[in-house]
Amino acid sequence: MPTMRALGPGSLSSFLKSVLDVVWILLLLVLAILAASLFYGVLAAFNPEMPFAHRVHFEGLDRLQGWAVVLVRMLTAVLFVGGVLVIVSHLREIFATLKAGDPFHPDNVTRLRIVAGGLVWMEGVRYTVWTLGALLPPQAAPERPNLSLTAWFSILVVVVLAEVFREGARLRREAELTI
Amino acid sequence: MPVRLHLDRLLHERRMSLAELADRTGVSASDLAILKSGDARALRFTTLEALCRELGCQPGDLLTYAPD
Repeated sequence: MPTMRALGPGSLSSFLKSVLDVVWILLLLVLAILAASLFYGVLAAFNPEMPFAHRVHFEGLDRLQGWAVVLVRMLTAVLFVGGVLVIVSHLREIFATLKAGDPFHPDNVTRLRIVAGGLVWMEGVRYTVWTLGALLPPQAAPERPNLSLTAWFSILVVVVLAEVFREGARLRREAELTI
Repeated sequence: MPVRLHLDRLLHERRMSLAELADRTGVSASDLAILKSGDARALRFTTLEALCRELGCQPGDLLTYAPD
């Protein structure tokens, strides 16, 4: 049975790099749309003459609180998609080195650390939304508390992988300077 | 690093260029340049053997240990 190569041109890494490129472009578009919507929403919240500034009611709450929920949801989406975009951007760069057959590129250590930071950021956004949600009425709160052990486990795995790549990069440098 | 490689001096004494040594030993000129500059972290026995053979010297002529 033919086996697919993991590294180098025409390998699985090359395929995943292409997928990440597409995802990155889509995320950019989604982020641009969300940011524009957020900007429009902020304007609409302060201008009742604008068409989007219709009244939103939650159990007798006034319009401003209604807009607060909408804006918090939009802001959450922007921050969340922004975090995903940072992660995907750095994964693209990592996979570019894998495609080139150079997995232990010294820059991959920093990239993996940024990916871990991005994952922490996304969890942080979720916790912030929970905190804000606690200030809103239950039916208006955008998120319910949900501690994801999988997310934290993933973060720790990426941190460990960054160290593995750091050691790999060091060994590669040693090999390069062994004559 | 306290271990020093005196490739420069031996090349000068043998009136040999780095390119010529690279050609004779099969070690690339860029690798020899790393050796010459003292940036190398490790030296293979095969490389040492090739250098000693082509320069007509002993490992002790090439290497010295001088603690900082």
